[in-house]
Amino acid sequence: MTNLPFIVAAYIVVWGGIAAYAISLARRRGQG
Amino acid sequence: MIETTASPFPAIRLRPWLGIAATAASILVTWMALFWAPTDAVQGDVYRVMFVHVPAAWLAYLAFVVVFLASIGWLWTRRPWFDALAVASAEIGVLFTGLCIVAGSIWAKPTWGVWWTWDPRLVTTSIMFFMYLGYLILRSLSTDFERRATRAAVLGIIAVVDIPIVHLSVLWMNSLHQLPTVMRIGGDPALDASMGMTLGFSVLAFTLVYFALLAERMHIERARQQRVLEARR
Repeated sequence: MTNLPFIVAAYIVVWGGIAAYAISLARRRGQG
Repeated sequence: MIETTASPFPAIRLRPWLGIAATAASILVTWMALFWAPTDAVQGDVYRVMFVHVPAAWLAYLAFVVVFLASIGWLWTRRPWFDALAVASAEIGVLFTGLCIVAGSIWAKPTWGVWWTWDPRLVTTSIMFFMYLGYLILRSLSTDFERRATRAAVLGIIAVVDIPIVHLSVLWMNSLHQLPTVMRIGGDPALDASMGMTLGFSVLAFTLVYFALLAERMHIERARQQRVLEARR
């Protein structure tokens, strides 16, 4: 697969960003 | 005077299922995007960034249209439910816009040779990002519930104007950015069928993610609203 580091970086940024936001929501909800 | 914090719509317990469906769809679509979709004849494999970049952009548009509709809902009915919907959708829209810009920048480096250029699409998208970031900051400037919701609603209605500007900027001005491939005016999508199917599933997965995050964020906001309004009584 050509340009693999760019592809992997983009997927990590997007899905990682969404996961981080979901975790922050779970924490905010826990703090209630 | 606010009389109720109740939702104007029937309550449906979708929240746990949305999270599960969004996670499953995200895993499936990542496999399709990285392994199932064919290699592009011109760009090679790096075009696969499209399967996260484009849905993030479209869902940001959807999120900000929801802010617009919820803002009208608040001004019309004064139901806090609409304000909770607006702030929740704005926050997720800012997240998706930010992710779209960063993923686009990563895609730009191997295809354009630069991480960033002052291209109309990039500039108008950044303006959209900062406008809705400003919307979220504006909300923190007032502690009065009604005043904050009303000010935010006015901005939420005005800011939606940027969405067609972002989308059509590549047609109105000379742009390095690719022209619309799927939502083309007066033309079929200029995309291979299997690539189009992967993009369609990706949009579906991002839509599930959007609604899962929206439900969670609204739950937090409505609990906060109830605390504020009960403390005032």
